[in-house]
Amino acid sequence: MADGIKKRISNALDLPGDIVLNLPRIVITGSIALFIENHRGIVEYTPDKVRLNMSEGALIVKGEDLLIKSLIADEAAIEGRIKSIEFED
Amino acid sequence: MLLIRLWNYFRGYVIIKITGEHAERLLNQAALKGIYLWDIKRIDDNTLTAGINVSSFFKLSRLTRKTGCRIFILRRAGLLLMLNSLKRRKMLLAGAVMFIASIYFLSSFIWSIDVISQDAEIKKSIENDLRRWGLKEGTFKYSLDKKYYIDKILQQHKEIAWGEIRIKGSRLVVELVKKKLPPELEENSPCDIIASKDGIIYEIIPFKGEALVKPGDTVSAGDILITGRILNKPDRKQDDGLLNPSEAVLVHARGIVKARTWYQKAVVVPLVMEERLPTGRVKKAYRLHMGKSTWSFQWGSLPFALYEIETAGQTRLLPESLGNLIFDVIYYKEVESKKKFIGVDEATREAEKQLMEQLKSLPEDIKITRKSMDFSLDSDEKSIIGTMTLEVVEDIGREQKIY
Repeated sequence: MADGIKKRISNALDLPGDIVLNLPRIVITGSIALFIENHRGIVEYTPDKVRLNMSEGALIVKGEDLLIKSLIADEAAIEGRIKSIEFED
Repeated sequence: MLLIRLWNYFRGYVIIKITGEHAERLLNQAALKGIYLWDIKRIDDNTLTAGINVSSFFKLSRLTRKTGCRIFILRRAGLLLMLNSLKRRKMLLAGAVMFIASIYFLSSFIWSIDVISQDAEIKKSIENDLRRWGLKEGTFKYSLDKKYYIDKILQQHKEIAWGEIRIKGSRLVVELVKKKLPPELEENSPCDIIASKDGIIYEIIPFKGEALVKPGDTVSAGDILITGRILNKPDRKQDDGLLNPSEAVLVHARGIVKARTWYQKAVVVPLVMEERLPTGRVKKAYRLHMGKSTWSFQWGSLPFALYEIETAGQTRLLPESLGNLIFDVIYYKEVESKKKFIGVDEATREAEKQLMEQLKSLPEDIKITRKSMDFSLDSDEKSIIGTMTLEVVEDIGREQKIY
């Protein structure tokens, strides 16, 4: 319910969702790099698959030769040949 | 990110191996504690490698027990480590030091001398003088006594008001400013106004002194027009008729003396004009100047009887201070000579054009009162002679000192 109100406020005032709704912000450079802000930790990491927790659900990055270029509390940069990005509830 | 990388490079970092079932947990823990990890790579199911800086490594090692992982150092890296490894390569280090030392050594000599002055004559004589006094290329710049040379220049050349010597790298720059010489005659020294050329006086306005001529008088060059010698008592009769210099007051005569004078200009225009027209055939050649000698080289011989040379590009192979080695690209352009009979009318027009052109070379402050042109055929009937006579009004006064 609270999220519903927040979402409506965010829409009405045209505020960015990543701040108001505490959602992750993902920047993808072609299929070679992915940068995610506001994640909640790495759950699984193999060269083919990276699974990141988010405030709601998880993000699954699939590809080949994946590498975590850098990792700090709420930012992560992944490089490699990205094949797919999935959101999981 | 680059800044963090650079910082880690200076501080030193290690590449570590993390083994354990749940290495991801260790990564998350590290991230939460603010430990920065980079280039995390999966080697096999139980092993990861990552980069971490030295101080964070010890923080990380405390977290390993909780997560059941183990960490090992694979490799150390960073600036200090690289410097350490240089210790083993002594010759490389010696070479680098030698290089810096030789650059420093070579740059401590003067390689070129530039004299900056508005006056080309001063520039040349100073350049020669400096060389004579022992300041030349190859002088050690740190032991150079700039003040000594500046004093010497100012002493020897009275026409220089200000000078400065500075060293710009290996270049010695001598900057000089010429004195503005005082006017030829000082304001209070007595003088006459004399005629600088022949003419008929048109107007005379004496400001100071006494006019000796009046409008309509004919004067020739050198005549006194306004005298600075004024008799004290002009009405007193002098028995001998001679002027007694002690009774005359000498002043600095000033005034405007305008006179009618004449100018004559003549040109000769031949009736047959030679015109050089390019045929379009061009041959490229190269030319090398070294010092005072010149070499030209080209493919094959030059097939043109008449040609003009055009320089297309000039490249200085060495800096000016190191010698005069210049490479030119030149084009020989073939031309044809065509004789053209232009006729009397055309030649007259051409002569008139040339005369009008010559008008521009006259002094600017004159006023032309009459202008006449006359064209006549030369005695051998091969050219037109154009003459122009100008009657002008100009200021002919010139100051001359009274001794």
